[in-house]
Amino acid sequence: MDITEYIKLVFTDYTLRTITLGTAVLGAVTGMLGSFAVLRKQSLLGDAISHAALPGIAIAFLITGAKDSNILLLGALVSGLIGTFWIRGIISKTHLKSDTALGLILSLFFGFGMLLLTFIQKQPNANQAGLDKYLFGQAATLLERDVWMMTIVTGICLFVLLLFWKEFKILLFDADYTKTLGFNTKFIDILITTFIVLAIVLGLQTVGVVLMSAILLAPAAAARQWTNSLGVMVFLAAIFGAFSGVFGTAISASQNNLSTGPVIVIVAGIFVLVSFIFSPSRGLLFKQIRFIKNRRDLQLHKTLSFMFRIAETHENISHPHTIKILNNFQGFTRGTLQKLVRKNYVKLDGKNWSLTEEGFKTASNLYNQQSENNE
Amino acid sequence: MSSAQIEIQLIAIIVAIACAIPGTFLVLRKMAMISDAISHSILPGIVIGFFITQDLNSPLLILLAALTGIITVVLVEYIQKTGLVKEDTAIGLVFPILFSIGVIMIAKNANDVHLDVDAVLLGELAFAPFDRLIVSGVDIGPKSLWVIGSILIITVGLLFAFFKELKVSTFDAGLAASLGFSPAVIHYGLMTVSSVTTVGAFDAVGAILVVALMISPAATAYLLTNELKRMLIYAICFGVFGAISGYWLAHWLDASIAGSITTMLGLLFLVVYLFAPNKGIIAVMYREKQQRTEVSLLTFLLHLKNHTEDSERHVNHLNEHINWQKVRSKTVLDLALKNNMIQIDKNIVSLTEKGEAFTSQAIDYIITNEDAQIEHMKNDFFLFRG
Repeated sequence: MDITEYIKLVFTDYTLRTITLGTAVLGAVTGMLGSFAVLRKQSLLGDAISHAALPGIAIAFLITGAKDSNILLLGALVSGLIGTFWIRGIISKTHLKSDTALGLILSLFFGFGMLLLTFIQKQPNANQAGLDKYLFGQAATLLERDVWMMTIVTGICLFVLLLFWKEFKILLFDADYTKTLGFNTKFIDILITTFIVLAIVLGLQTVGVVLMSAILLAPAAAARQWTNSLGVMVFLAAIFGAFSGVFGTAISASQNNLSTGPVIVIVAGIFVLVSFIFSPSRGLLFKQIRFIKNRRDLQLHKTLSFMFRIAETHENISHPHTIKILNNFQGFTRGTLQKLVRKNYVKLDGKNWSLTEEGFKTASNLYNQQSENNE
Repeated sequence: MSSAQIEIQLIAIIVAIACAIPGTFLVLRKMAMISDAISHSILPGIVIGFFITQDLNSPLLILLAALTGIITVVLVEYIQKTGLVKEDTAIGLVFPILFSIGVIMIAKNANDVHLDVDAVLLGELAFAPFDRLIVSGVDIGPKSLWVIGSILIITVGLLFAFFKELKVSTFDAGLAASLGFSPAVIHYGLMTVSSVTTVGAFDAVGAILVVALMISPAATAYLLTNELKRMLIYAICFGVFGAISGYWLAHWLDASIAGSITTMLGLLFLVVYLFAPNKGIIAVMYREKQQRTEVSLLTFLLHLKNHTEDSERHVNHLNEHINWQKVRSKTVLDLALKNNMIQIDKNIVSLTEKGEAFTSQAIDYIITNEDAQIEHMKNDFFLFRG
């Protein structure tokens, strides 16, 4: 299937359009809120919450007997919130550390959820099929009203985010200062955590319990590499998230036997990888290039200062010396020598070199600066 | 009990013990989430191993999967070292991506792989006794019993051999390094054992519930004791209790055994979390309340010492002056009376000799701020002990 045909299909085919829109909206909202999770060092909270939501889905089904996804997601929301606050209780009231609390709640809630799911499967009423889709997610089951639901929640998130932008930002970077300014930090904290839980619960139907945390983190981690400003980061994360959703859906739709969730995660992972390597200020590639450049500069300076010390002992600074005497000095290469010539610091004359006026000046300043720095 | 039931319980118990031992160290080293990451990211290793061996219980598959676990740890540490993201984000990125690769590999080869993501993640203990190991025609028991049994024996052997090293490096990595034990070797050794255990156990209880078996008995034990050996023993006991009671819960409800084991472990944790003698929620809250009253008492006594005039020491005045509620001032007043710190004469409160001495010491403590002094003070006078 070529690309133009696919794009045409996206606009005409109901299922494909719904899924594409749904994953795009989902990617955007999780990217947006994921930025806060990443910056607050709560990355793994997403993983814990998504697992903790499972018993909520099962209990909601047991109580209502309905398969309406909104009711099930409401159950997931409640149980996710209970999990979150229990994690906080464990961390603040006992000496167990945050990683233990997260792993504990994650696995215990998930195990309880599994117990309930297998219990439901043995029940006589047969319309329970479809609960396991929350384990690994099935984007294909998205309906138009689910997409509307996601869009509405995204709208609310965006509104609250803009409304409390200043508070969120200040709490993120300096919680103590926020408290001294008289903000109700507990309220802001609960608000933001609730929205993170909400975003996770929305994604359960599409990508499932297991992979949800990656959808939350990956766009934010990728966006973090390109900017130091919170606003730009949230915006970029939303865009990365949306594109992961669209591309992931496209790839999984064009192949047989590919579920959407894992493909979206891998696409998001590629975004992260590219950002890690190619981001101009923090990326590994440019960091390495800067590192090499600095090392060359240092060698250049080393050679220059060595020359300077030789030239210093002579009356005439441009007195020629043989290149040979530089040989027992490791900072010297043919390349650096050429570079010094190009910068007009050194004159080469056959096998001899001599410092120019400019080179002598730079070298003496270099020396002074170094000694000043050392003090 | 049929022999299949006994075998299932035996497997569950051995898995629980094999998980509790590395779990204790993971909890103490603050690496509990790593076990979660490993349990997910071994999936591609299992799939590749399965392509090669076509047998979920072969040693090669276990080795390959354990290798994937180690790769996860190394990757997480590498990403963390670059400083681009924090450790928790690194964990949260690596394992879902590896897991997704595994899921896609299964999906693309669905026709010739009899491997189910559900089975890997959730396990089904009830079927374990049907896959039997037959050596030269003789049936010597379920395969998974042998696999997890040998893992347990290796784990226990390593535990006894390197107990001292593990202990030192867990609590003081710097000291361990200066004594000549390489913390890196112990770190990766522990990671290897955890990966191997996770792989060995996933067949029985599923990858995610391995995490429950590793973390929750250890965390529960940690709420009850501060001593490593005792913590290990408690964790093993809790694990075994969870395994047996979970099995019977599943039997009764006709539900997933792994899920019931986790649920029992969860209930156990909840009970200990609430009622543990020193570190349980109720004990902590009670202690916090006591401490609040102690501080109030101190404030009250200092106030009395500072004021000689009658009007400042009148019972009714105290409410408004220190801004306390009625009940609170009553509690504090009663406590002080009971400890002979004050005497009340016609509604005028004054310090007794003991109260004077106590208050001077308290001032000393506040000035010097040495922790040892307040402990000493508590022993001399206090307070709630009748």
